[in-house]
Amino acid sequence: MKPILWGILLGAIFILTPKIYKSATDKTSYLPAIISYSEAVKKSAPAVVNIYSQQYIDSSVGTKQQLQPTGLGSGIILDKRGFILTNYHVISQADQILIALQDGRLFTATVVGSDQITDLTVLHIDGEDLPVIPQNPNYTPEVGDAVLAIGNPYNLGQTITQGIISATGRGGLSATGRQDFIQTDAAINEGNSGGALINSRGELVGINTSEFHTGAQNVTYGISFAIPYQLANHVMQSLIKYGRVIRGSLGIQAENLDPLLARLWGLEAKNSIIVKSISDGGPAQKAGMRKNDIILKVDGQDAVNLIVTMDKIAKITPGTKTKITVLRSGKEKELEVVIGEFQG
Amino acid sequence: MAIITRPLFFLILIFTSVSSFAALPTAVKGEKLPSLAPLIKEVSPAVVNISVSGASLNQGAQRFSGLGSGVIIDADKGYIITNYHVIEKANQITISLVSGHQYKAKVIGQDPQSDIALLQIQSDRPLVAIKFSDSDKLQVGDFTIAIGNPFGLGQTVTSGIVSALGRSGLNLQNLENYIQTDAAINSGNSGGALLNLNGELIGINTAILGPNGGNIGIAFAIPANMVKNLTQQLLEFGEIRRGILGIKGGEVTPDLAKSFDLEVTHGAFIYQVTPNSAADKAGLKAGDVITAVNGTPIKSFSALRAKIGTLSAGKEVSLQAIQDNKSKTIKVVLGGNTTASNHSVLPVVFEGATLSDSETNQRFVGVNVVKVSPNSMADRIGLMQGDVIIAINRTRISNQEQLITAYKNIKSMRALNIMRNNRPIYLMLD
Repeated sequence: MKPILWGILLGAIFILTPKIYKSATDKTSYLPAIISYSEAVKKSAPAVVNIYSQQYIDSSVGTKQQLQPTGLGSGIILDKRGFILTNYHVISQADQILIALQDGRLFTATVVGSDQITDLTVLHIDGEDLPVIPQNPNYTPEVGDAVLAIGNPYNLGQTITQGIISATGRGGLSATGRQDFIQTDAAINEGNSGGALINSRGELVGINTSEFHTGAQNVTYGISFAIPYQLANHVMQSLIKYGRVIRGSLGIQAENLDPLLARLWGLEAKNSIIVKSISDGGPAQKAGMRKNDIILKVDGQDAVNLIVTMDKIAKITPGTKTKITVLRSGKEKELEVVIGEFQG
Repeated sequence: MAIITRPLFFLILIFTSVSSFAALPTAVKGEKLPSLAPLIKEVSPAVVNISVSGASLNQGAQRFSGLGSGVIIDADKGYIITNYHVIEKANQITISLVSGHQYKAKVIGQDPQSDIALLQIQSDRPLVAIKFSDSDKLQVGDFTIAIGNPFGLGQTVTSGIVSALGRSGLNLQNLENYIQTDAAINSGNSGGALLNLNGELIGINTAILGPNGGNIGIAFAIPANMVKNLTQQLLEFGEIRRGILGIKGGEVTPDLAKSFDLEVTHGAFIYQVTPNSAADKAGLKAGDVITAVNGTPIKSFSALRAKIGTLSAGKEVSLQAIQDNKSKTIKVVLGGNTTASNHSVLPVVFEGATLSDSETNQRFVGVNVVKVSPNSMADRIGLMQGDVIIAINRTRISNQEQLITAYKNIKSMRALNIMRNNRPIYLMLD
């Protein structure tokens, strides 16, 4: 049976491969694979919208207030019910939010919810036949993947720029380390914030944000950031359902334990984290955790480093009883903590 | 059997890995990595470095020098296309080829409004010219290659994609229908080539947008088709004889589309048709929407303006227009530069003035000021209805064409000589 199966497979491949290599036989073309991103652009660009935020500003004459455009950004339609994802900083000052689709339609948007930690906001518009950006939950961004940034830099109108993924991001929810988002060398400028980073198949990779390099003294080009799709989608679903992002919390401040320090102290040198302070009345204090406890395990899993551990705790639903193993005065001790909710 | 199945398995591995990477533009695992090098080798001799020097009249005959790029478009005759702003005011233009040879170039023709200039060099050695592509077929997302001489570093190749098409609004007086790209383009790249992956010219790199004058991934190129039209005119006449349609208009906005019950959201909306103009003769009416020129859709009024403005007078164009809610194809023979409807080439100081050439039986020969709009440029310089412009400085003029030529030829302070109520007056300009 096996040889027959191989034969069928091989046959199928021979039938299918000419399509892939079609352009390679074309002598005028130098590249064997696709020679344009236009297909990916056509699929996803209509779902990227321009966002104009307007603010009431005291007019110079009299005391009458006037709505004036104050902010510029981009957004992505992720759901045909009219949910749009953008950066929080794009709309944070707005009294009125206008959404312009690429087909010319104009909408006023309402804010569904915002999450300042990830700098994300979900907006809603009432519209029919809205274009939705292709999404692939199984796509994992990898360094070197070709990506396109879509947005409205300096209000020039919709612009597509290309690059690769320079570094991949962490999908974690916790408040620490948002500089760990996806890094790309595609040009992302003011006005691109909230726009889409897509892959060469047109699928959403992340939400672009120009915020990270503004305010820096040396503006660097070729280093831009995007919030990973998986994280952004989680935040969006949570905002739609609860109006906020619910994060589990221990009520502690902790640091990575320096392995060298650990050895000096005569501890088993391990990657783990050390508690530096405990909030009064917080979940950790109630469970009897103390300053300088070394957290070894959370829910039976090794506490490898601070970021991974905090992400893990952030994902636990508040109210859940969780076992935490700590090392105190050379002895392992198991505590049962009722996880609280993180208050931003 | 094992001996046979193993190679088969190996083959399958290769094929499946190739097909799973087919969506990526460059990386093909197991295959030799594609490179632009063979293409660059073929086309790079067609892109030249341009250095200019001259004396600026504005700043007390101060010497200046500048750098730019250019593209050889005719190998036999040595024609080179570049930006007007690269060679503007230059006394001496030196062309350096990639091979290191240098030539003095002369200017065949130039057009400030579209920022294009045509140069020529005499060479005994064979030159390499670039092929034009049909830039109307470009799509957002297509790959681009920019070749030029940024900061005078020497020939530099950068790559990117088409970020947007039909961009305008950088300089309202100019004819703009730019290709926007994220390929790194900097000062000195001006006049250089923007190519597709077949090594064909898709545009001439012209402008960038950047807060600090450096590249931030937003650059603009004049489309190859526009360059081609302009070059043909410069070769034929040594100047641009702009085609004139004879309409005033604006963008189709969603509000406008709603109130006029239009099905389109992009195009050029006609507010007014000049009597006896090309548009009038072809049957275009106010309220019509022009959606395509020669089969290519246009997005905005400025795109239409740039397209028409780069076609020469007397050319027939086929316009797609929506008239009385019906889509129609209308053929128009573009008018020339002689009618009073032509405001585009008049110097800015006459903005807001309606001018006409004097009648033969008139007492003073010159240009009649028929009307002056309040608060316009013409109003501010002091022009009044009923004035007859008879000279600029000491150059007598008898019609608008002479007025424009005289205005352009005088580079120093200008004064308009006007007859008002049968008395001569001088109006100072500048």
